[in-house]
Amino acid sequence: MTPTGLLSTALLLGLYVLLAGGYGLVYTLARLERWRNLKSVAGVFFVLHCAIAVLIVVSSALAPGWKLLLVASSVAIFVIPPLTWRYLEHIHGGEGTQ
Amino acid sequence: MRFDDPAFWRAGAISTIIVMLFVLAMLTYDSLAAIAPGGSHVPPYSVVNRHIDYVFDAGRGIDVPVIGKAEPLFGKVLDNAAAGAIMDKGKLVIQSRACMDCHTFYGNGAYYAPDLTKAWLDPDWEAWQAITGAPTKEEAMVMFLVDPEKYATWTRKMPNMHLSQEEARAVVAYLKWTAAVDTNGFPPNFGHVHADR
Amino acid sequence: MYRSQTLAVKYLAAAIGLFGVMTIAGLLSAYYYIDPDFLFGLLHFNIAKILHIDTLVIWLLMGFMGAIYWFLPEELGREPVGIWLAEILFYVFCAAVAVVAVVFIVVQYGGSNEFALWFINQGRKYVEAPRWAALGVVAVMVVFGYNVIGTVLATRKLTGIIAVLMVDLIPLVALYLDAFPAMTNMSQDLFWWWWLVHLWVEATWEVLIGCIMAFTLMQLLGTSRRIVETWLYIEVALVLGTGILGLGHHYFWIGTPNYWLGIGGFFSALEPLPLLGMVVHAVYDAGTHHMKTANRPALYWMMAEAFGNFLGGGVWGFMITLPQINLYAHGTQWTVSHGHFAFWGAYGCGVIAVAYLVAQKVRALPEVGGALWKWSFAALNLGLIGMVGALLVSGMTQSFVERAIGGSTLQAFIAGQQDPWFVSGMLLRFIFGVIFALGYAILVYDLATLGKRGVVLAAPAKAVP
Repeated sequence: MTPTGLLSTALLLGLYVLLAGGYGLVYTLARLERWRNLKSVAGVFFVLHCAIAVLIVVSSALAPGWKLLLVASSVAIFVIPPLTWRYLEHIHGGEGTQ
Repeated sequence: MRFDDPAFWRAGAISTIIVMLFVLAMLTYDSLAAIAPGGSHVPPYSVVNRHIDYVFDAGRGIDVPVIGKAEPLFGKVLDNAAAGAIMDKGKLVIQSRACMDCHTFYGNGAYYAPDLTKAWLDPDWEAWQAITGAPTKEEAMVMFLVDPEKYATWTRKMPNMHLSQEEARAVVAYLKWTAAVDTNGFPPNFGHVHADR
Repeated sequence: MYRSQTLAVKYLAAAIGLFGVMTIAGLLSAYYYIDPDFLFGLLHFNIAKILHIDTLVIWLLMGFMGAIYWFLPEELGREPVGIWLAEILFYVFCAAVAVVAVVFIVVQYGGSNEFALWFINQGRKYVEAPRWAALGVVAVMVVFGYNVIGTVLATRKLTGIIAVLMVDLIPLVALYLDAFPAMTNMSQDLFWWWWLVHLWVEATWEVLIGCIMAFTLMQLLGTSRRIVETWLYIEVALVLGTGILGLGHHYFWIGTPNYWLGIGGFFSALEPLPLLGMVVHAVYDAGTHHMKTANRPALYWMMAEAFGNFLGGGVWGFMITLPQINLYAHGTQWTVSHGHFAFWGAYGCGVIAVAYLVAQKVRALPEVGGALWKWSFAALNLGLIGMVGALLVSGMTQSFVERAIGGSTLQAFIAGQQDPWFVSGMLLRFIFGVIFALGYAILVYDLATLGKRGVVLAAPAKAVP
């Protein structure tokens, strides 16, 4: 890995998780406030997260196995907020949408 | 069991933990053998009687320690018992002086002072030998450790930790052995300056 | 108020006090980077650092114990068994901490012999305290365990949270036994040392703070027991499912076989996923209550916990966890950046939340608010984030200059430390550390004077018809 590659890859990895967190945060806010616009913003965060994932896959010096792990994690990241929301609603008896 | 039943998740937590702990136990058993002196990654203490080098291994893509010809430390060959004793002493010095609260070993410790993993192989010791007028590298290292403020390298000085000659020699022996441990290439590029910025 | 709860208040007060010692020692440690000749010959970086990291461990442990001693009698409906023993040991604990600190400062180190390890300094990070004191910590924790388990046996009552806590106490105490040995082989020493450090802060402590947050949520937001228990089990499964083998991310470079690169990297890369779920959960809880609660600081500090944990542990950790990156970042200020953020987010914020909750209950305040807690919240978090950002800059510089380019030698180390970006980062870290310290001072004043300041804390909710 080149010196600049080291820094850029690490920053991209951090951004990858940060954008995942942004997606989770905005998705939950969107469901709480029932704002369709906010749901689009959540979508934007996830698209940006995917863009970072693609950038890492295409440009970084990581081995294929790690890139595959990142792609699989992105799938999990996509699913976690809606799944968590549904489960929370279920056990709280629908508090969030009242 | 249903997803909204806490008992379902309790069972999940218990089984997950049991599986993970079992795997950890298996890997621990294997790793402990590898890291024992004489194991696959850690040389026996008697390696202090040999020349240590650090060479690029194309297959692994990293630098690896290479144990070379005879090179007694302080001009004296140590048998296994003596080597073990000097290592015991060296580690006791390192702990008693809390070296790892300024320095690091294998990157573990504090980051105020340099990493000591490959300190034995540091190119600076050649110059150090000249400065101190010591007959060998190890004697130069001892002179530094006993009187560090006399040989300040830069603005951040090492304080005098009041090491005896015996303690300083033990530390140097410890550092020679540490340099021979296979650390999967840590620290990276040791001794090679990268041309690309 | 139960005797256990009186003891809880003492533990939390001691915890907050030690938090202050940690902060001062931290400022001192940071200052050496700016002025390396400061106190040279009298007190050096290693002692300041020992005080900083050891008080970190102890203040958090005391905070956890205070929280449990507070919630335990209410949870089980009686005074904990053997509480008199815990009351005595509290003072012994505090005295021991004081003696150890004084010996660190005045004596600093001994000779290379067993006496030094038993009575002065063991020189192993986080557990430098001499063996006599480590025995004391074991005694305190064993009695703590006795208080919990003995009470469960006496009441024949076992809730889900208490069951998780009880099981967690076993590794919590057992792992601490690594504070005693002095193994010659550094690889072996570090192998077991990481069982203690990682399986404390990324496993047993996570479960412990999970139990504490479960109790806190029930009291703060009125969340049902069934819900918090369900979440506790899910969290335990996910955090330990990733964290137990995530231990491997400390086994990349210590002389262990290279299969740890794959295993450790894989499991620790999964560790942010449960934290994402935690963020969703925290926002849900806050949102469904519209951030309204009788104790706003406690709620805000719990939110800070969820976000801090995600950012400090998840984002910052993910940057440096893959072995290809870690090879360059390991043992640099990048690690320090991650460590400060993660400890703060995962544990510091949680203990402060509990301190506010307990303060409210002890002073029987209908509501907790005002302006002071906001200033403290802002200054502490701004200070922390500022330090973390500054350390990130220094750490990235160090990884780049010393490791990637310089060849990791002594000269490369010096070049990294003298790089203008590195130096600026360390200066900024100190400045933000001062802001953090100011936030701490306000926190102490606020906690000490809550309900005693004669200020109307909340306007009446309803108008008189």
